[in-house]
Amino acid sequence: MLRVMSRRGDDRVSWDRQKALAGDPEANAAIREAERIFAQERAKGATAFRVEPGKPTQRIERFDPTAEQIVMVPRVVGG
Amino acid sequence: MSFITQVLAALGWIAVAIAISPMLWLIFQPYCRGWSRAERRAADLLRDTLTPEQFRQLAWRGYLEVPSPTEPQRVYRVPRTKGYVQVIENGRAIMRLCVQPVECLPDADVVVLHKLMIEANEEGYLQKANKYVCVD
Repeated sequence: MLRVMSRRGDDRVSWDRQKALAGDPEANAAIREAERIFAQERAKGATAFRVEPGKPTQRIERFDPTAEQIVMVPRVVGG
Repeated sequence: MSFITQVLAALGWIAVAIAISPMLWLIFQPYCRGWSRAERRAADLLRDTLTPEQFRQLAWRGYLEVPSPTEPQRVYRVPRTKGYVQVIENGRAIMRLCVQPVECLPDADVVVLHKLMIEANEEGYLQKANKYVCVD
């Protein structure tokens, strides 16, 4: 699942990895959409993190469809 | 006579309030609904990201303690609502940090943002933060 933080809370795109591996067109379309949003948010300066229970949080530069959950946070500045 | 006048005036104001309240509701309803939905979604993400102990700490103490991944004696104290992040070393507050997203986010999302950045990008987080050294 891709979760993008925004003023609306967070926008989510989810996909089924197993179905995508099996070539399901809907699952593949969801992955493409998530990848597009990922690239768009990165271009705006957002940072992406791979967040999985029981594992250390990891910053990622490239979209990873095998990630259980990717959280994107907007660009931050010193206040 | 004056009592009757006061009663009539009060009734007049009540009538005005009843008349304009639907209009006010129509104007503000989208904002109220939008905000509460955003807060709900942010709270979901917060629950999914924190352990039950961290969630309890945030609820009861009003802050979340995030251990530094690089300095074992350092802890970042992230407030539940807007405010400075305190840097605690060996039990003493040594610094306050001000870091904020460029986009307005619900408070729960801001807590998650601090946690993720400290855990996975501490160096970048500290570079971006404005620092205020605590003096005894």
